[in-house]
Amino acid sequence: MSTRNKYVSLFAFTAPALIFYIAFLLIPMIGAFYYSFTDWNGLNRDYDLIGFANFVEVFKEDPDFVNSLWFTLKYVIVMVVLQNVFALFLAVLIESRTRSKGLFRTLFFMPNMISVIISAFMWTFIFSQVLPQIAEKTAFTFLNQSWIGDPKFSFYSILIVSLWNGVGYMMIIYLAGLQGVPQSLKEAAVIDGANAWQRFRSVTLPMIAPAITICLFLTLNSSFKVFEVVYGLTGGGPGRSTQVVTMNIYEEAFSNNFRYGYASAKSIILFALVLILTLIQVGVTKKREVEA
Amino acid sequence: MTKNRASGLLINTVLTILAAVTMFPVYMALVNSVKTQGQMFESVMALPTEFHFENYSQAFNQINLLGSTLNSVIVSLVGIGGIIFAAGLAGYKLSRTPGRLSAFIFIMFVSSMLVPFHSIMISLTRVAKALGLQGTTWGLGIIYVGLGVNMAIFLYHGFVKSVPRELEESAQMDGCGEFQTYFRIIFPLLLPITVTIGILDFLWVWNDFLLPLLMLTNVDRYTLILSTNMLFGEYNKEWSLILAALVLTAIPVVIIYAFCQRFIMEGITEGAVKG
Repeated sequence: MSTRNKYVSLFAFTAPALIFYIAFLLIPMIGAFYYSFTDWNGLNRDYDLIGFANFVEVFKEDPDFVNSLWFTLKYVIVMVVLQNVFALFLAVLIESRTRSKGLFRTLFFMPNMISVIISAFMWTFIFSQVLPQIAEKTAFTFLNQSWIGDPKFSFYSILIVSLWNGVGYMMIIYLAGLQGVPQSLKEAAVIDGANAWQRFRSVTLPMIAPAITICLFLTLNSSFKVFEVVYGLTGGGPGRSTQVVTMNIYEEAFSNNFRYGYASAKSIILFALVLILTLIQVGVTKKREVEA
Repeated sequence: MTKNRASGLLINTVLTILAAVTMFPVYMALVNSVKTQGQMFESVMALPTEFHFENYSQAFNQINLLGSTLNSVIVSLVGIGGIIFAAGLAGYKLSRTPGRLSAFIFIMFVSSMLVPFHSIMISLTRVAKALGLQGTTWGLGIIYVGLGVNMAIFLYHGFVKSVPRELEESAQMDGCGEFQTYFRIIFPLLLPITVTIGILDFLWVWNDFLLPLLMLTNVDRYTLILSTNMLFGEYNKEWSLILAALVLTAIPVVIIYAFCQRFIMEGITEGAVKG
């Protein structure tokens, strides 16, 4: 085939994907960058380039955004740790079973099938109706909290629903990783006199390092973009006390002032954060994988 | 041996308790969805003494179950069909073509997987409006193609490497055109990864909330998730109705889960390992 024909055929095959990709991902991405330097408000046709003014305003005059950023960071840190610890814990326990393995796997993964927003509504019922009633009728009085109305507790409510919904997915990946650990290695460790914890620490963990890298990447990425759980449970309230970054962007662009340019600047900040942190995470864990 | 049996018992107990906690919200939703509001306030834990299925018939109408499900099906079919068609072609060709241009296009697709949806959603609504896609189910499906091809191309690209080249070479010697070779010979061989992509994208599109919220303005076009969201907003505190609606919304995915569990779990590991 001639070189020219080769290019023609390459473009013919990639054209459908490229067209959709350019229209709905690349152009919106470039648009977000461009609008972040403008004062476009969505309603007006005219707008001006205003340099970095939006970015300055975000950090200097927008405590709501800065608070939502801190709240999101707090959520990300706790979620990345808890989601992976729970998922790995469940996976290790399930992997040690023989007959009940399939049943437990099915049960623990099921919440992941239910849409996040539906999960949040279901849990709203649990937090607002079920738990207070249980507290009233039994000795578990600590359950009678304002799970959704009090920002101190609603952080935990958001975590509970997120974990309930998300742990199963990571558990499946860890289970696959655990199945790849050679039996001979575990047996050798037993012969060497290693106890269960030592076997886990020195044999299993290094062997599932790739799964850990993937799960950390996935949880880091998804928890930064958290939206539905908070939207369904607290709506960001009371006030803006549980507002996350994505919700702050959404509010700025679609429900408050339609300041598209300003909201675009915020969305670029979110993008930069996700990009930098995931690159650091992948770099660090990949390096560990090699060493292990 | 006795020590092993004791630890086995302990692990089983821990897993059973955790499984019960995990299932608790679903159980509560099911049990209370057939009670009246009054019975619920009396006791949420009690098993229902009589079954009030009128909650379900009311929810059925309020969320326009048949219409909403049909809308969700259209969005999913257009979206997933488009992704598989476009990404299969591109992933195959990019994997088979050496050279810088091909590598550049591939990296352009793959690197975009890091872009958060929330970073592009504002401009995306403008693009959708300009193209007249806002407010329609097929338009929403088409947008999912644009957002989903990157991961699908990545998965196809990796899978094609395991398909022997001899097949297409001999097909082309027999006079098959390039597209014909792809659709007749290659595409059927890609079935395992196509199933994986189809499942992962179905779960994503079917359960997605924010994009439909931004795109669909007419209640008649609402997806199942959007209709339930609207019901939740309107009938705040009418829990028996809301719970019935939640159960109805969750049923399709749970049925699919029951039948395709193995494929779903394989799909997730497949997607994760390749990713």
